[in-house]
Amino acid sequence: MKYLIYLWLVILMLSMAACQAMTPAPAEAPAATTEAAASTGAKVEKVAVLLPASQTDQGWNQQAADAMVQVQQKLGFELEVAENLGYDDITPVLRDLAERDFDLLICHASGYQTVCPEFAQQTRINVAVVENPGAVGPYVADVETQAQEVAYLAGILAAKLSGSKKVGIVVSGEPPTWNFMTIGFAEGVKATDPAVEIIYSVIGEAAYEDAAGAKRVTESQLAAGADIIFGMGDGASFGMLQAIQEHNAAGGKARFIDVIGDKSADYKDVLLTSVVFDYTGVYETMINDIDTGNFGKEYRMDVAGGGVRLLDLPADVPADVAAAVERARQDIVSGKIKVSAVGDAEAMRARLDELKH
Amino acid sequence: MTAAQWQIFITALLSAGLIAAVPLLLAALGETFAERAGLLNLGLEGMLLSGAFAGFYAALTTQSMVAGLAAGTTTGLLLGLLFGFLAISLRVDQVIIGLGITLVAEGSTGFLFRDFYGQRFPTLTFSTAKVAVPWLSDLPILGPALFNQQPLVYLAWLLVVGCAFLLKHTRFGLEVRAAGESPLAADAAGVNVAQTRYLAIMIGGVMAGLGGAFLSVGDLNFFVPGMTVGQGFIAIAIAMLGKWQPYRVFFGALLFGTLRSLSTGLQIIGLDLRPEFVLMLPYIGIIVALIILARRTQLPAALGLPYERDQR
Repeated sequence: MKYLIYLWLVILMLSMAACQAMTPAPAEAPAATTEAAASTGAKVEKVAVLLPASQTDQGWNQQAADAMVQVQQKLGFELEVAENLGYDDITPVLRDLAERDFDLLICHASGYQTVCPEFAQQTRINVAVVENPGAVGPYVADVETQAQEVAYLAGILAAKLSGSKKVGIVVSGEPPTWNFMTIGFAEGVKATDPAVEIIYSVIGEAAYEDAAGAKRVTESQLAAGADIIFGMGDGASFGMLQAIQEHNAAGGKARFIDVIGDKSADYKDVLLTSVVFDYTGVYETMINDIDTGNFGKEYRMDVAGGGVRLLDLPADVPADVAAAVERARQDIVSGKIKVSAVGDAEAMRARLDELKH
Repeated sequence: MTAAQWQIFITALLSAGLIAAVPLLLAALGETFAERAGLLNLGLEGMLLSGAFAGFYAALTTQSMVAGLAAGTTTGLLLGLLFGFLAISLRVDQVIIGLGITLVAEGSTGFLFRDFYGQRFPTLTFSTAKVAVPWLSDLPILGPALFNQQPLVYLAWLLVVGCAFLLKHTRFGLEVRAAGESPLAADAAGVNVAQTRYLAIMIGGVMAGLGGAFLSVGDLNFFVPGMTVGQGFIAIAIAMLGKWQPYRVFFGALLFGTLRSLSTGLQIIGLDLRPEFVLMLPYIGIIVALIILARRTQLPAALGLPYERDQR
């Protein structure tokens, strides 16, 4: 009887764990015959998007999922979104997708930068990674988000609108995407007003869902005098937003600058703007390139191409401030302003120290 | 910063540490009862998360915080009962049960959240007003930090006193301790070991469920899948650090919450320390405290061991 109970528990545990993720596949890597839609050119019929967290986080994960859904509706392929995969080894998921003849795997997390290119070389299945240009090869594409350019614009906005001359940056970790935006934002602030103080706080190591921790950290920054918070958190961002709402309810006047998604529907009262990532164009180009045999390169999302942009500013932003932001945007597009692209955490901290002092 | 700004800043840090300690404290108090009775409940993380989800769902549906807290507590109670049934009646390995409950909770709460709300991210539209304790809340720095809080925070403190009294000054408390130290002797003295352990794990589940509900309904006003981020396991360490004594558990939870807040404060004041070290601070603090204070701790002799009356 006891052994039956053990067996039942093990089966139950495995079943429930699989509710959130893909079912692990057998150990053998699939044969190279699944290269039907490889770089040599063939119609893409099945695409999978692999996400570390929930596809409804109104941030990093949702932007990728929603963008691919839009592309699917236009191009008509089979789409599967594998969510809540976490940040550890996703090889079993990759193998399962390969066995089911997926043509393109979007590995949408900086934590997948190594495993996905290795898998692509072994199986010759097309993968796309993020922020890893060194991995680009016959079956590997890289999506480079030049988010620092738009974060720079956000920095200008923050510096001009901060009444306390203190702005805060709250991050849920230090992956390359966050680091690019941290430096872009800081450079924008300092270029606009060197007297504005920047406070930088990390919630934790990969604290992407730690909403309570995010709320604590944001409250502390607000208590230290910051009145504009640039937050990068995924699920944790909701904690930052709540901290600001409560701060304002008690008489404060803080605003929030979000990243990746658009939370204005629910947080219009505190949201100043957002650094929006739009993957639609990149994904469509990528799939067309597979069809024509031109896959295996770097795809850039930048201000010029429209892949990253600032969310429309609210009506209460003064016209001269909006104009300054637009001028800077045009200067970035023309190359007159060059924003540093710093993805490595150590280099980011060093550059941030330079800017802060 | 000016002196006034420093005062506000330090008050905010202390308050943040206190709030962060509440879910840990409640879960650790529950674990204290369970482990004192001989049950090693590694499902605490799952109970916290389930309580958070159930509490949020009920509060959102009924627009009532009380309903939310009741739902969270009831969910914890039911999971405690499940643990008890498997561990006490069926004598399944307690480690497996606990980890199984945690895994099931992580999977099911995420699944249900998606099923109920789809692409939406609902939030509660009501919040609990803070209650200022007269005179005490006027004390500089400590006053606003400690004595101007939500009623749930004060309830957590009262529960510490209640649990301490229950464990040390009641017959039930004696039976719980006896069931964990020597169930054979307790049985011989007329104690119903199984019933005592059931009650202890139910208390454990209730406290964990309440802690989870506090997180989603009291502290925040939303639920995020995985939002407990390992606090259940920290609570187990705190219960051990406190040597299963409620007042010590209270200080252990406060220590962790304060260190977390301190790591935030160190970042904000710009201390030149590597961020990795700063973020490790609360965990290092708990490990150091365990080494210093819990080195000679004697685990309850029957912890993790099923009791079979037939083998007397």
